Amino acid sequence: MALVEVKQITKKFGAYSAISNVSLTAQDGKFLILLGPSGCGKTTLLRMIAGLELPTYGDIVIGGKVATRLHPKDRNIAMVFQNYALYPHLTIYENVAFPLRVRGFSGDIDKKVKWATSLVGIEHLLERKPRQMSGGERQRTALARSLVRDPSVFLLDEPLSNLDAKLRHSAREELRQFQERIGVTSIYVTHDQVEAMGLGDRICVMQGGVVRQLGTPEEIYLNPADTFVASFIGSPPMNLISDEGRTIGFRPEMFLPESAFDPSEALYRTEFTVQRIEYLGGDRILYGMVGASLPSSKAIARLPATIGTLPEVGTTAKFAMRLSDIRYFDGEGKAVEQSRRHEARLVVNG
Amino acid sequence: MAEPNTDLPGDRLLAYLALSPSIAILILLVAVPMVTVFAMSMQHISLGELSGPFVGLRNFERVLADPAFLNALGNTFVWVFGSVAIEMALGLGIALLLNIDFRMRGIARAVILTPYLIPTVVAVLTWHYMFNDIIGVLNYLLMAVGLISQPLLWLNSTSMAMFSVILVGVWKFFPFVVIALMGILQAIPQEQYEAADIDGASALQKFWRITLPHIMPVFLLTALLRTIWTFHKFDIIYLMTGGGPIDATTTLPVLVYQQGFVDFALGRAAATAIITFAILGVLLAVYLHLMKRAEARQ
Repeated sequence: MALVEVKQITKKFGAYSAISNVSLTAQDGKFLILLGPSGCGKTTLLRMIAGLELPTYGDIVIGGKVATRLHPKDRNIAMVFQNYALYPHLTIYENVAFPLRVRGFSGDIDKKVKWATSLVGIEHLLERKPRQMSGGERQRTALARSLVRDPSVFLLDEPLSNLDAKLRHSAREELRQFQERIGVTSIYVTHDQVEAMGLGDRICVMQGGVVRQLGTPEEIYLNPADTFVASFIGSPPMNLISDEGRTIGFRPEMFLPESAFDPSEALYRTEFTVQRIEYLGGDRILYGMVGASLPSSKAIARLPATIGTLPEVGTTAKFAMRLSDIRYFDGEGKAVEQSRRHEARLVVNG
Repeated sequence: MAEPNTDLPGDRLLAYLALSPSIAILILLVAVPMVTVFAMSMQHISLGELSGPFVGLRNFERVLADPAFLNALGNTFVWVFGSVAIEMALGLGIALLLNIDFRMRGIARAVILTPYLIPTVVAVLTWHYMFNDIIGVLNYLLMAVGLISQPLLWLNSTSMAMFSVILVGVWKFFPFVVIALMGILQAIPQEQYEAADIDGASALQKFWRITLPHIMPVFLLTALLRTIWTFHKFDIIYLMTGGGPIDATTTLPVLVYQQGFVDFALGRAAATAIITFAILGVLLAVYLHLMKRAEARQ
């Protein structure tokens, strides 16, 4: 168990900055997600915490100890790689025993291996070689290998991305339960926002080598710090409409036919011309243009199946959203703070 | 069950037509000489003739009873296993070094490969000069640094000639091993080493547990291929020593040449060639077996 602190880390590869002045803390025993598109620096940051890369500037502190220049083996971390990095020539038993053997572990190796493999439910596969296992079993083996020596920090680099969609869902659930049970500080890299929302105690959204926002899944979803986070999180993403040097944002599922609201609510009313409708089973996604009081621009509405009557394609209907559901961003795309919202709202209404 | 659809009418004819030039060349260059040699090995052929009376296995009896044959067989094994062992060890060491990322690595790789690209005759003649007892640069250098006090008879003593020939063979062919092993070394996923770093493995443990098992199939196949090629290598030895001094470096291919084109005993030469071929056949069978196993593991 340990607190991991990243202090003003910059990483340069030649002239290119992969990470620029990033600071964050992974809280003891919690699940922190590093989320971002490819090339945002999330994997580089994880590799620096692991000790596989040396930061150009800044420090990594693990459990109160400066670890920046420590060899990976001296950090008491464990890492699960995207392709699991199992040793193909060793059996599952030997793969899991490897970290103990190379460290000259003096205790009962057999007992530790059985304990770790039973935690992830592969204790009946110990004699197999990795190539005789399915993707999910390999992923569990990698987990067992990483936890066999009681690490104080777990680092996971997109460990579910090689699994098929159905398996990924159940593996995510297991991973979360497993982390809660052993209570190890975990840092998890992913580009998949669904994974991030489902797993994380906190999410750190990164882009272009900087942290865009750090917060709980709710905070990030409801109050994105800037237009990047707003458009990266959520599927479909938040509608962003530029208007006189600032941006108005609203989630597609908050943007509904006016009749769906209680008339007494404080609403912002507009018109929506539907161009295309997509059926997703439980929901329907409506693509179209907003108009009337807003500058004419593309928008998306997500209507739950409980709303019976849909506007027809090609028609213009009255749509609305709650004033409290609207987010405002300034000219640089930064969220306008709570205290200034009122002012901004007045401008919209005027 | 209905016939599965496999080919269109005329496909087969086209296939045989397309293959026929290759088949013709193979028959002409491989099958015909092989059958001829096999036939010759069972004939008594006089000087100036290409065939003679059938003598059954007499040539084989005479060859196998000849001390020159046993000497050549022994020399061949020293030559083959000496060369291949040093080539493999040196090749592995250099491949591991070249696999490390360093400045000028590209240049170092190119330089290492040059012996393999130099024509054998040019290389052998150059080495011949360097090995010269009196004017050779090797003796000069070794005496200058004080490693030896008097010139070594590199090629002219029966005890040293084989070593010298092996030295040239190794120098010429270890780059092949380097190329083969460098390819497989680069195919080892980097994450395995990173995972081992995090697990706490030392450099030696990483070599034993990751590098060696990964490269083993290619290492074995390369060693066997080098064994087969070294076994029937003729030009280096013949150009360096002609099989001498006396018969110190006479290997089986050199013996075949001497029997055939010095003694003009074509029947015996053919018998020796067939025996050599049989030994190579066994090695080839092992090679193909290993190859199949390596492919099955993929």
